[in-house]
Amino acid sequence: MKIPLILRIGALVVATTGFYTYVGQMVPQKEVQPPAEIVLRTDLTTADMVKVGREIMEGKGLCFTCHTIGKTGALRFPDLAGVDTRAKTRKPGFTDVQYFAETLYEPNAFIVPGFNPGMPTINKPPIGLTDQEILCVIAYLQTLGGTPTVTLQTKHQYNAGTATPTTPSSGVSPGGAQPEATIKKEKG
Amino acid sequence: MDGRINRKVLFLLGPVAGIAMFLGVVWAASLFVRHYEYKEPYRAPAAAADATPRTEGVAAEKADAETKAKATPYAEAEYRRFPGVGSRVAIWSVAQLHLLFAAFVLAVPMFAFIIEVIGYKTGDLRYDRLAHEFTKLLSVSFSLTATFGAFLTFMLIILYPKFTNYLMSVFSPTFLPYVLLFFFEAFFLYTYYYGWGKFHPLVHLGLGLGLNLVGTAIMMIANAWLTFMTSPRGISDQGAVISVWDAINNYTWMPINVHRFIANIAFGGSVAAAYAAFKFLQAETDEERAHYDWMGYIGNFVAISAFLPLPFAGYWLAKEIYAFSQTLGLTLMGGAFSWLFIIQAVLIGNLFLAANYYLWLGMGRVEGVQPLQKFIKYLLFAITLCFMVWATPRSIIATVSELRAMGGGAHPVLGYLGVMSAKNTAVNILILTTFMSFLLYRRTGKVATVSWAKTGHAVQLAIFAAAAFVVIFLGIYGYFVEATVRIRLSVPQVSSVLIAMISITIVDVFLFHGATRTGEVRWGHIPRVSQYVLIFIAVTFTWLMGLMGYVRSGLRQHWHVYGVMRDRSPDAFTPTLGFATKVVSVTVLMFFLLIGVVFWISSLHDKPDFERRTGTS
Repeated sequence: MKIPLILRIGALVVATTGFYTYVGQMVPQKEVQPPAEIVLRTDLTTADMVKVGREIMEGKGLCFTCHTIGKTGALRFPDLAGVDTRAKTRKPGFTDVQYFAETLYEPNAFIVPGFNPGMPTINKPPIGLTDQEILCVIAYLQTLGGTPTVTLQTKHQYNAGTATPTTPSSGVSPGGAQPEATIKKEKG
Repeated sequence: MDGRINRKVLFLLGPVAGIAMFLGVVWAASLFVRHYEYKEPYRAPAAAADATPRTEGVAAEKADAETKAKATPYAEAEYRRFPGVGSRVAIWSVAQLHLLFAAFVLAVPMFAFIIEVIGYKTGDLRYDRLAHEFTKLLSVSFSLTATFGAFLTFMLIILYPKFTNYLMSVFSPTFLPYVLLFFFEAFFLYTYYYGWGKFHPLVHLGLGLGLNLVGTAIMMIANAWLTFMTSPRGISDQGAVISVWDAINNYTWMPINVHRFIANIAFGGSVAAAYAAFKFLQAETDEERAHYDWMGYIGNFVAISAFLPLPFAGYWLAKEIYAFSQTLGLTLMGGAFSWLFIIQAVLIGNLFLAANYYLWLGMGRVEGVQPLQKFIKYLLFAITLCFMVWATPRSIIATVSELRAMGGGAHPVLGYLGVMSAKNTAVNILILTTFMSFLLYRRTGKVATVSWAKTGHAVQLAIFAAAAFVVIFLGIYGYFVEATVRIRLSVPQVSSVLIAMISITIVDVFLFHGATRTGEVRWGHIPRVSQYVLIFIAVTFTWLMGLMGYVRSGLRQHWHVYGVMRDRSPDAFTPTLGFATKVVSVTVLMFFLLIGVVFWISSLHDKPDFERRTGTS
């Protein structure tokens, strides 16, 4: 029996489309949800802030889209392992908090030698972290080669004050809740 | 005589059947209405009914509801939900169908115009007939493009009113020119098509030129709207318009204009070639087969010629995306969409394989034994190798034990092929190889007779080898330098391939000027499988356009306008690639169903009139 031409062409179109659909199912499947809007409690301890900061860097902040921790070789953006040690001496007269604040609020003010500009302004859309969220990120960055010192009350040159690093925190304050409980997430 | 009786019978039966159908519809409708009409419930006469607390309560509730409804203020909806598939998939499918038809309608006049120019310059009427045949596909496609465009606009207004309103407020000065250009497009298109052979050739060519210029201008205006969504410019931090021109001339506008211009030609050429293949397979005479074989060859030639520089336009677009936002660029190439480019590699690999296969099959058209065919196996090997490199992912999904055995997410050896250095090298060699296939096809059945023929061949080979060496050397060198240097290496790689293609073509034109023929080209003498290859290429091109359309739009993720207007609808998430490919496939199937209708309607033009067919006149 001779198959009509239109059926043969139809079968070819369906088979080709089906093959590409199959290829599409073979690659890793990941559904990316919009970042949750986080409302931080005002009584976060520095230790809480470190954990929240790490969460922000992995999620809403998109930091690890470009940055790595502990990777060597040909890098496109600076690796963050031991970054706090470097931050303390990177710019004369700047504390680590001031340096981190500048890289986040005004990223093109100083470009690490050997790299191209590319860092977005973190407190503006599309990332748009709040001042408190940025302090949490700084708290986490301080753990990479140093000891976290910031609190939610810490002032620096971008949040109406000069950087006044606080006394190093000894960890979670007595009675301080775990970060999962200290943040309230609302689906955006 | 019988035919005449039949016509009389048909003439009488027509109105009788019409009246019967009308009565039938009236009867069915009245039956339906009687069955489902609203009937007031039986109520006791008012005088006899006592007012009960329930009746009073129901009346009070109704009055209360009416009062509340009247007092409700007008509130503008931010989103509305499309039933079933949801708003995003609905918009996605309609937009993709609109775009596919628009691409076709913009592309066909371009090569129809060029072919008509060739026909005018050479005086060869075959070219004129071919150009006319291509434009036959335009009329119905144009109507479908406009219909889907209107459909898309209404869907945007209904489903995404707030976002549409914002976009309209930013681009309000562009809408009237857009509509005006559409009038001009319709004028040029219909006068170009219906005026074929009715005007002086130069006047007709002028209409074709006008059609192309207006079509390109329409595309560029529409591109301004969609590129603004990805790389907004000319607005304040809060989204207020500062400069409409800056909003139009945003980072990705011109790269998208160029990319779409080239891609439309490739896509349009492939669909026109598929039409020719369909007609070839339907053909009953050698003359028809010869004509449609030639038409398919020209369509495919247009498609592949436009396809070769397309990756370079893609580089430019990606570069501008990075220039606008490194985050956006990295999301595209290294984030949520990185695996999409593996699917793209499979598609492009298939396109290269199929295009080369068609050229190799085409060598059989030329009389006599073809010595150049012996090179095919080497070309096939190079293409397959490049395809494999390009489709190699950097990191792979593996079990824990497999990851442990590999020492990480990337394979210890194959992982090196998954990086841009290897992929850029592979795609450039693919382009060079396909170009080589075309050269072999071009010189099949010909012998160069110029005195410097030997030197010419040697020069061509040297240029080809030098380009291949530069591409491979820079590809390897890229592994030993920093990213900032590595990224820039793609420019000399691309440039060397482009220079090689241009210079080899120039040498070839002079080399084979006045060449002797060892065999004639017998159009129509090609295996039927070649025509299915053309259809396969058209489907693959269409699917590729659907996929890349998805990444261009999906790249914004949870933003309507990146960094300015956030998507807060239930569809704000980025779906899996598996889901996206299913939507692309459904859209492609719908497109081919509709383009089948376009082909069918266009083919009606060639059918004999009813009178002649029935033999009654």
